[in-house]
Amino acid sequence: MATKVGRAAAVAEAPTSRYSPELLLGLYRMMVKCRMCDEKARILFRQGKYAGNFYSNVGQEAGEVGAGYSLRPDDWVAPSHRDWTANIIKGAPLNLCFAQLYGKADSPDRGKSTPAHMGYPPLSVITPASTIAAQLMIGTGVAWGLKRQGKDSVVVAYCGDGATSIGWFHEALNFAGVHRLAVLYVVQNNLWAESVPLRLQTALSDLSDRAKGHGIAGVSVDGNDILAVYDAATEAIARAREGQGPTVLECKTYRWYGHSEIDPAKYRLKEEVEAWKKKDPIPRFEKYLADHKLLNETSKKQIRDETSHEIDEAVEFAENSPYPAPEEALEHVWA
Amino acid sequence: MARTITFIDAINEALHQEMERDDRVCILGEDLGMGGGVFKATAGLYQKFGEDRVLDSPLAEGIIIAAAIGASLVGYRPVPEIQFADFIGDAVDPILQQAAKLRYRSSGGFSCPITIRVCWGGGTGGGLYHSQENTVWFAHEPGIRVVAPSTAYDAKGMLIASIRDENPVLFFEHKKLYRTAKGEVPEELYTVPLDQASVRREGRDMTILTYGYATTIALEAAEEMAQRGVEAEVVDLRSLAPLDKKTIVASVRKTNRCLIVHEDTKTLGMGAELTAILNEEAFDDLDAPVMRVTGPDIPPVPFSPPLEKFFMVDKDKVVAGMEKLAAY
Ligand SMILES: Cc1ncc(C[n+]2csc(CCOP(=O)(O)OP(=O)(O)O)c2C)c(N)n1
Ligand SMILES: [Mg+2]
Repeated sequence: MATKVGRAAAVAEAPTSRYSPELLLGLYRMMVKCRMCDEKARILFRQGKYAGNFYSNVGQEAGEVGAGYSLRPDDWVAPSHRDWTANIIKGAPLNLCFAQLYGKADSPDRGKSTPAHMGYPPLSVITPASTIAAQLMIGTGVAWGLKRQGKDSVVVAYCGDGATSIGWFHEALNFAGVHRLAVLYVVQNNLWAESVPLRLQTALSDLSDRAKGHGIAGVSVDGNDILAVYDAATEAIARAREGQGPTVLECKTYRWYGHSEIDPAKYRLKEEVEAWKKKDPIPRFEKYLADHKLLNETSKKQIRDETSHEIDEAVEFAENSPYPAPEEALEHVWA
Repeated sequence: MARTITFIDAINEALHQEMERDDRVCILGEDLGMGGGVFKATAGLYQKFGEDRVLDSPLAEGIIIAAAIGASLVGYRPVPEIQFADFIGDAVDPILQQAAKLRYRSSGGFSCPITIRVCWGGGTGGGLYHSQENTVWFAHEPGIRVVAPSTAYDAKGMLIASIRDENPVLFFEHKKLYRTAKGEVPEELYTVPLDQASVRREGRDMTILTYGYATTIALEAAEEMAQRGVEAEVVDLRSLAPLDKKTIVASVRKTNRCLIVHEDTKTLGMGAELTAILNEEAFDDLDAPVMRVTGPDIPPVPFSPPLEKFFMVDKDKVVAGMEKLAAY
């Protein structure tokens, strides 16, 4: 399987005819929604509105949305700590996503899991643990089950660059390879695992090469290019649905903020951060849409206003949602 | 109709019958398909149910458990196998952080009905890495049942109950019992409750709390002491998590003395928790301190026969413990 790297020119070159206006605007809206929800989540944390911590996905929206956007309700998502927005993409109600941050009774897990470790059982988003790469293994198990049931549903399992070093990542890929399971492993390579740079994580330059050792498909794309990710993901998902096995999709991207909201990220050079902020996937896609007469300042503002309104409502819902009763801590230990 | 069969045959039969009854049941692990398992616990299953339901997994304990967890999320009732308890390390996160907590962390949104069969225990010359017990690592953690049957009857009934239970279950099979424990086992399907201890022998003078292969030893010791006028009540815990406190406390209230016998090393073994429970719930009933006969605090189990004998609890060690307790 050839590894395609950094399709930086994809945005400019892609002919619009390949994508319907609805799709293009849908992808855009979702990226904006993820960005705005995430930024709101950060603000709320800084305002002391909720406890715990938050792992921002800002900067990585193209990978997040590009990989998850085309999923069907019967498909599964296995998110990590940085994929709170994967729930939004899958279609979880925004009210519940914000209730999750607050640890309120209306959150899908009724306040049991930490803010960013969100799952949404009705749409098959697996509630994650903090253990790095655990979601990849469980998602792989789900795909094994789906295959045995003869279904063509797929599993999208997200992880970071650091996660590709741990043994469980490889156990998952190996198993998925043996059984040609319908999994898309989305590696959001944001160049840092907490404070550890990629050069100390691995000798590889393309993390999709991890796939080679397991005899499965691997592809690396410019993770800030929504259409590059979307193309690679939909291709991989289509192949997976046809029984052609798993794919590792590396999205080369960058985490704008600290590892979490309590991390000032002083270990990174300012220049590095600024350079990556210039590669922001959202304005880049806006330019593409504007060039193709699909977006202008008015419609842009309208999308933001609508999203902002939706977020305000969700925040209000979360704030008014009650906390779980203390004794609820005892529930759901045993079936 | 009951007939006398071995512990391992009981396990094998439970798997055959439960897989016939419920096509959601599937098994996976190392060497258990075409090879039928290193102890032949899964013999014949591959031939009967095929590779789809009897999967020889890659040599990777983490994915064995995690694949089972994932499959359970889409409706299967997997029975993964850990070939030897000694190698469960790679699967500790999947077992404790995933299986045991998935239900809790999703407030019941996801459940994980898997039964993990684990072969454990010493006394067969297995040496340091084919003899270990690590039941208490898991019994310490809420959200996962830990059971360790000691008879062929319980092996079958508890395995079936485990597979049907909505909780993840760690089903510990003592390898020494596989072919030495024989008993009457009904041919048909039946279940044995997963949270009840069993009084294997009634007695008035002291209670012995034990489980696994040590139950056999405790019963032998109790017979010997009976000839000397000490009637011990032997309680087989069967379930290590949750513990059947009711049966445990009721027995000690009756006998007023308690000896704990386990093969596991002493420090923070089951005996520690059992003693604490008796302190909390039966302190006024005790005529003597709770005593323990356990494995020594050394890596289990050194290989050379005299070293292994030194490690293992045996009848003489239990008799000595009983004498000491009776004399207190
Ligand atoms: C097994 C494990 N080890 C360590 C941690 C602590 N930890 C949480 S996130 C993280 C870094 C993850 O980096 P990466 O996989 O690149 O994901 P990113 O945070 O960049 O999205 C670490 C070390 C953990 N959660 N799990
Ligand atoms: Mg990273």
